[in-house]
Amino acid sequence: MPIEVERNDIIVVERINKTFVGGIKALVDFSTHIRRGEVVVVIGPSGSGKSTFLRCLNGLEEIDSGSIVIDGILLDDAKKNRLEIRKEVGMVFQQFNLFPHMTVLENVTLAQRRVRKKSKQAARAMSMDLLEKVGIDEKADSYPSQLSGGQQQRVAIARALAMMPKVMLFDEATSALDPEMIGEVLDVMKDLAREGMTMVCVTHEMGFAREVSDRVIFMEDGKIVEVGTAEHFFTAPVEDRTRLFLSQIL
Amino acid sequence: MDAAPHPQRKSRWSKFHRSPLFDVTQFSILVILIVWFFSTSTEKLGYNWQWYQIPQYIFTHDESGYYAGPLWEGLMVTLRISGVSLVLAFLIGLTTALFRLSHSFVAQIIARFYLETIRNTPLLIQLFFIYFVLGPVLGINRMTSAILALSLFEGAYASEIFRAGIVSIGRGQWEAAYSLGLSTFDTYYCIILPQAIRRILPPLTSQAISLIKDSALVSTIAIYDLTMQAQAVIAETFLTFELWFTVAAMYLVVTVTLSIIVNYMEHRFKVVS
Repeated sequence: MPIEVERNDIIVVERINKTFVGGIKALVDFSTHIRRGEVVVVIGPSGSGKSTFLRCLNGLEEIDSGSIVIDGILLDDAKKNRLEIRKEVGMVFQQFNLFPHMTVLENVTLAQRRVRKKSKQAARAMSMDLLEKVGIDEKADSYPSQLSGGQQQRVAIARALAMMPKVMLFDEATSALDPEMIGEVLDVMKDLAREGMTMVCVTHEMGFAREVSDRVIFMEDGKIVEVGTAEHFFTAPVEDRTRLFLSQIL
Repeated sequence: MDAAPHPQRKSRWSKFHRSPLFDVTQFSILVILIVWFFSTSTEKLGYNWQWYQIPQYIFTHDESGYYAGPLWEGLMVTLRISGVSLVLAFLIGLTTALFRLSHSFVAQIIARFYLETIRNTPLLIQLFFIYFVLGPVLGINRMTSAILALSLFEGAYASEIFRAGIVSIGRGQWEAAYSLGLSTFDTYYCIILPQAIRRILPPLTSQAISLIKDSALVSTIAIYDLTMQAQAVIAETFLTFELWFTVAAMYLVVTVTLSIIVNYMEHRFKVVS
């Protein structure tokens, strides 16, 4: 499927393939493009390759063939390119992955100081702004173990945002949270979407998808089954498999 | 549950069983047994204990102050050798662990070779090899040979401990550091090693204690450490039993002090994750 590469595309994925050791084909000739400021939600059954796709976007997983271009930079073996992309793409994990031996504030300032080479004061100022934005500035000197899951995930979002990325990837960011905490994290994500951040989210939260996504991609067995706007998706899906999946989760 | 014995008798025994008095009684019986065992067995030896002779070999004093006796001087040598070797072993161990974990083929080969040769030969042989064979070739003196042998030997074991600690850090930490754009150095320095070292303090302490005890072997190449000094004093005075007990106690004090310090550090830098 040829991609029409528009000027406004920030991510261009062309026919990527990924097979895991053991022969499992995670991604098969997968292609897509994502515009600046677009919020794309990726849904699909377990094992469909959606997390793998996300992790390929910032280089956590290596592709076997095909190409990924992010903000004009080709994701290849060149160290310089990889580093640029890692700086421009932020990721939020299902398991938060905060650094337990550092306070919340230190978690958020670390990469700013080490990678962006900011001064202590500048990093601290930015960190406090971001913590305030996600609603946990009063916990700045606490350790991650002292926070609830929802609070930890919000710190993780602030930490990723501190690098001022152009794209934010969310890998099932709310799947490990207790139901009453999902809302607070989704609120932060919705705010982010409304502010114009380019986001790619793997999620099961259909309410979130309907509310803020520009496009929904449904994947199965490493391939795209259907792509469309949220409206189209939830009111008039075309493919049978899409309809089946939606009936199971909605 | 079977029919219980007379309730009142049962509860009186249970109460005593669980009280501190029971523990004290148990302990006292144990101590009495040990002391009785030692006193009857040493009586049979017919040895003339002269404990009063010992203190002069640790230190002496007159009008002008305290003077170190041979045992004290030996202790200082032991501490110096152990101290320097501990630091070197730590550095060698950490470097080797990082080599083992690196993507460089050459680094892995070097680390593997080092580990296999050092771990499969006795320390005493390595000590002799370095002093008698490498010493003249490289022009290194006695002390340096001893420190080198100890550091290399303990470093090999330390490196496996470090590697275990590093590998035990969850993948999520690596992935988070990667996603933030942190360099390999920063990832190790800021994220992985601080967490890994806290986890491996117990086995590292054991290794440090091993090192201090293994330092006694340097007496075989005529370095006047604690063990060598003890041998020298025994040769003059034949106070064999008293001296060896004393020297063992001195090593014990050093290693227990180290354990206490490390325990305190562990407590202070505890990470809840």
